[in-house]
Amino acid sequence: MGPLAALCGVILLTTAAAWLFRPIRGRAWRWLRLVQKTERVLIEDALKHLYDCEFRRAPCTLQSLSGALEISRNHATALLGRLEGLDLVNRSNGSYRLATAGRREALRVVRIHRLWERYLAEETGYAAEEWHIEAEHREHETSAAEAEEMALRLSFPRYDPHGAPIPTPSGEIGPAVGMPLTQARLGDVVEVVHMEDEPEAIYGQLLAEGVHLGMRLRLLESTPHSLRFEADEEEHVLAPIIAANVSVVPIVMPVATEPARHLSDLSRNEEARVVALSPACRGIGRRRLLDLGFVPGTLVRVENMGPGGDPVALRVRGALIALRRDQARFIHVTAAEKGVAA
Amino acid sequence: MTASATAPACVECPAHNVANLTKLGVDLSQVDFVVALAGNPNTGKSTVFNALTGLHQRTGNWPGKTVTRAEGSFGFGGKRFKIVDLPGTYSLLSASHDEEIARNFILFAQPDVTVIVVDATCLERNLNLALQVLEITDRAVICLNLMDEAKRRGLQVDDRRLARDLGVPVVPTAARFGRGLPELNQAIAEVASGRTVCKPHRINGQSPALADAVGRIAAGVEGLLPGLPNARWVALRLLDSDGDIAAALRSGEIARLQNASMPAAAGESPQPPPRAEPASASPDPTALVTEASTLRWRVGPDFHQTLVESIYAESARIADRAVTHPGDKARFDFDRSIDRLVTSRALGFPIMFVLLLVVFWVTIAGANYPSHLLSVLLLDTIHPWLKAASAAIGVPGWIDGLLLDGMYLGAGWVISVMLPPMAIFFPLFTLLEDFGYLPRVAFNLDSLFRRAGAHGKQALTMAMGFGCNAAGIVATRIIDSPRERLIAILTNNFALCNGRWPTQILIASIFIGGMAPPYLAGAISAAAVVAVAVLGVALTFVTSWLLSRTVLRGEVSTFHLELPPYRPPRVLKTLYTSLIDRTLLVLWRAIVFAAPAGAVIWLVANVHIAGVSIAAHAVRLFDPFAAAIGLTGVILLAYIIAIPANEIVIPTVLMLSVLVTGISDVGSGAGVMFELDSQSATQRVLEAGGFTLLVAINLMLFSLCHNPCSTTIYTIWKETRSARWTAVASLMPVAVGIALCFVTAQLWRLVSLL
Ligand SMILES: Nc1nc2c(ncn2[C@@H]2O[C@H](COP(=O)(O)OP(=O)(O)O)[C@@H](O)[C@H]2O)c(=O)[nH]1
Ligand SMILES: [Mg+2]
Repeated sequence: MGPLAALCGVILLTTAAAWLFRPIRGRAWRWLRLVQKTERVLIEDALKHLYDCEFRRAPCTLQSLSGALEISRNHATALLGRLEGLDLVNRSNGSYRLATAGRREALRVVRIHRLWERYLAEETGYAAEEWHIEAEHREHETSAAEAEEMALRLSFPRYDPHGAPIPTPSGEIGPAVGMPLTQARLGDVVEVVHMEDEPEAIYGQLLAEGVHLGMRLRLLESTPHSLRFEADEEEHVLAPIIAANVSVVPIVMPVATEPARHLSDLSRNEEARVVALSPACRGIGRRRLLDLGFVPGTLVRVENMGPGGDPVALRVRGALIALRRDQARFIHVTAAEKGVAA
Repeated sequence: MTASATAPACVECPAHNVANLTKLGVDLSQVDFVVALAGNPNTGKSTVFNALTGLHQRTGNWPGKTVTRAEGSFGFGGKRFKIVDLPGTYSLLSASHDEEIARNFILFAQPDVTVIVVDATCLERNLNLALQVLEITDRAVICLNLMDEAKRRGLQVDDRRLARDLGVPVVPTAARFGRGLPELNQAIAEVASGRTVCKPHRINGQSPALADAVGRIAAGVEGLLPGLPNARWVALRLLDSDGDIAAALRSGEIARLQNASMPAAAGESPQPPPRAEPASASPDPTALVTEASTLRWRVGPDFHQTLVESIYAESARIADRAVTHPGDKARFDFDRSIDRLVTSRALGFPIMFVLLLVVFWVTIAGANYPSHLLSVLLLDTIHPWLKAASAAIGVPGWIDGLLLDGMYLGAGWVISVMLPPMAIFFPLFTLLEDFGYLPRVAFNLDSLFRRAGAHGKQALTMAMGFGCNAAGIVATRIIDSPRERLIAILTNNFALCNGRWPTQILIASIFIGGMAPPYLAGAISAAAVVAVAVLGVALTFVTSWLLSRTVLRGEVSTFHLELPPYRPPRVLKTLYTSLIDRTLLVLWRAIVFAAPAGAVIWLVANVHIAGVSIAAHAVRLFDPFAAAIGLTGVILLAYIIAIPANEIVIPTVLMLSVLVTGISDVGSGAGVMFELDSQSATQRVLEAGGFTLLVAINLMLFSLCHNPCSTTIYTIWKETRSARWTAVASLMPVAVGIALCFVTAQLWRLVSLL
């Protein structure tokens, strides 16, 4: 066997393996997920999908179900047959709708899903991209009692961390709030109240652009190709198809606040006073910053920066603590009374 | 040393919770009082601990956690005190492991005294923790440490004022110089015996909404558990949605604390495990938790923030009254100028590399001579002597071979190769750490590690790995984020440890240096070794990046880095403790892992099947595969049987080469590892065993990338408690190594075809 042949063979094999096993979307994982899914999980996922269609006022078909659940058409047909048999779903000319019992069950799962998302956001250090993915797994393994325990711990929250309403234990659900960002009027100040967390790719772009719940923004320009807006003293641009996944409400009387800066924007030796932590910073990350002493009213001084400008070393209440820039961004500051220190 | 178990007058009787302490693994024999030591990081807690206990101390882990616990004892005024060093934290409000441990110890073990070590130079920050501790317990002493530094900075701290404001004794100390410690002992004894009664300050400067909510829940708690000393604190925790405290309240664990703290209950000692329910549990704990959960909203959108703000505000108020500033100038000038230098764009990295290089150079150069001495002593003097002795008393050949040629040689080899570099490398490292430089290295390198999805402190654990991977893996405890810690553990093996340096140097100087003209040989072989080490660093980054995006995606991640002030290291003490530590580690490793490996090596070479030794069978079996990846069967077999210690790979390779090739004039028989004094003789044996330049290069690569030694594997298992992660950490490097060797071999052959 020539070395070239051996080399090529192994490279081919590696590529195939990498493709098969690439994270999340790899064939092997898909297959594994499918095998691990029990009948109950599939039923719950199917009901959630139907509920989602209902909510979006889109028809739910065999196709959409097989796509959403990553199962074959045949499998989807059998599944829907089962659901019909259980009186959870009704069929009318080619599309499927939830029956009352089915809707109750769907809302139960949605409640657990959104409670989990809320829990992951408030009580752990999982990144925003992971909340939905984790909740997708955990929702099927959580009993009603555990869910209520979680609700208690979280003070009976009404919205998930993306701003979607959480159904009550008895299965009522509040209306979705806000209007799509694309429909906001130019010049109005609006607040983000909901971000759609699916599809993942669009949600990822929103996160990358720094959009978060509670963000206040002002629309500067709207064309069919792009939406330009200003938030936290910075300009952002989104494609309309992405902006449509963000819901906003107008703010009636925007309070005139002092212009706040991000701690990460300070230069070396500058001193400033903390005014707030961004709502985008939650969970353990937020608690950690507070416990380290970054509470409103605290004087912070940029003492040093890493060789490339990251991380920043901050003198806060007598201790020197380094944070990464993306964390320091969450801390909003105003000029300290004395201005820039020597 | 009297173990007086008789209960004295009850003012003096201990208040600690025997059942819970026993559950936490604290040995209470011959102990009158239990003392906990709490404080922020770097306030001198360990120094105070050492000063109080002297040599009467030991370290271990908190049960079920990989957090180090130091525990010691001392006597004062005829009583024995047990003292436990809690993890250093800024707060007790979050859910990090450290905070949970400190909090639970103070709450559930109910120590007789909690000593809160605070840094007199930044009182405000330290009081944040002190106030939280004083909410939980009312038996506390403040140790106002680092008074010398405060004085040097011109700060005046009024300890009497502080004592009045906090309601507990305050003792100014400079632990490093032993100042104030007798007074501290006295204060501890008085609080423990109840002669000093504390009336600790309780946080009260809260917003009206917060105060109201706390008042209501606290009333509920008191209704539920009359006489509980820290009802207000329990209320605060319930409002802050502390799941553990809510669970403890509902399970009755907190009720048992209340019983234990009732004076009447302390008549008999030790107490029987209390199982009595509280007198009447009429109000329902669950209802109380629910009420707290609804009240939380009234306080504001972020209860936790409101709470932290109010505690900090209170700390600032108290600190302000106690401290007189000289005018704010020039407090941290010295530190800042060092920081500027060691983290500067131009000089930061050069300084780091030079320091690291010096450490390595001192280690390698300094270890040479003692290693040689040890080897002459253990291998060339004692071994023949033992052999002669055993022959004289007629020990059967196989016992003699197994014990002396196998086990003794294995252990002796590891000690002579590993002990000197470890005993030099780690003390140097600890000195840099004590000075405060190491966190700056993490600071400099964090942006690189961040891009690989890892934590800046991994730079330190990696550097430790250059000394010993097992030590590097234990050191990952400094990384407080679970995901980044796992990454650091899984990739630590790519740092070329002291046990592998000799292999690299030997092979490089024979085969790579040997090709160069003599005046360049040294430089070129050194460059080859450095290249391998650098490749290891590169692999660390690449695999960290891959891991953080695949298997470790979606694990919890946080970051912050403390940069403690620079302090002159205590050279002698550091050298002494670090030396003892490392020597013990190497000896333990030699006996537990290397000696059995020696036995296996001897057996493999001496047990025959069908007239041929197992070793020869195995080598023949491995040869085809080994050839495909550009190694030899002997090397693969050596790596398998020498898993326990990388240091004995080369001696094993030499022994096996002689065995399978049948060279007759070197070595001392089957299964007896050996090394040769002259490089050319070594080269001759290796070449007879099929070594070429390609095999040499691949051996260097494989020595960098193969499974960790068994000590390291064992350490990984202990630190992760997970068979899965241990398997990943052990197999991933082998896979990388095989791939590397394979590609190198094929490219090599391709090039030589052309
Ligand atoms: N100048 C001075 N240095 C101290 C004193 N107490 C401790 N140190 C130093 O402070 C550093 C941190 O001490 P350590 O006991 O490890 O702190 P821990 O993190 O709280 O356990 C060490 O370098 C000590 O030598 C003191 O009273 N005065
Ligand atoms: Mg310590």
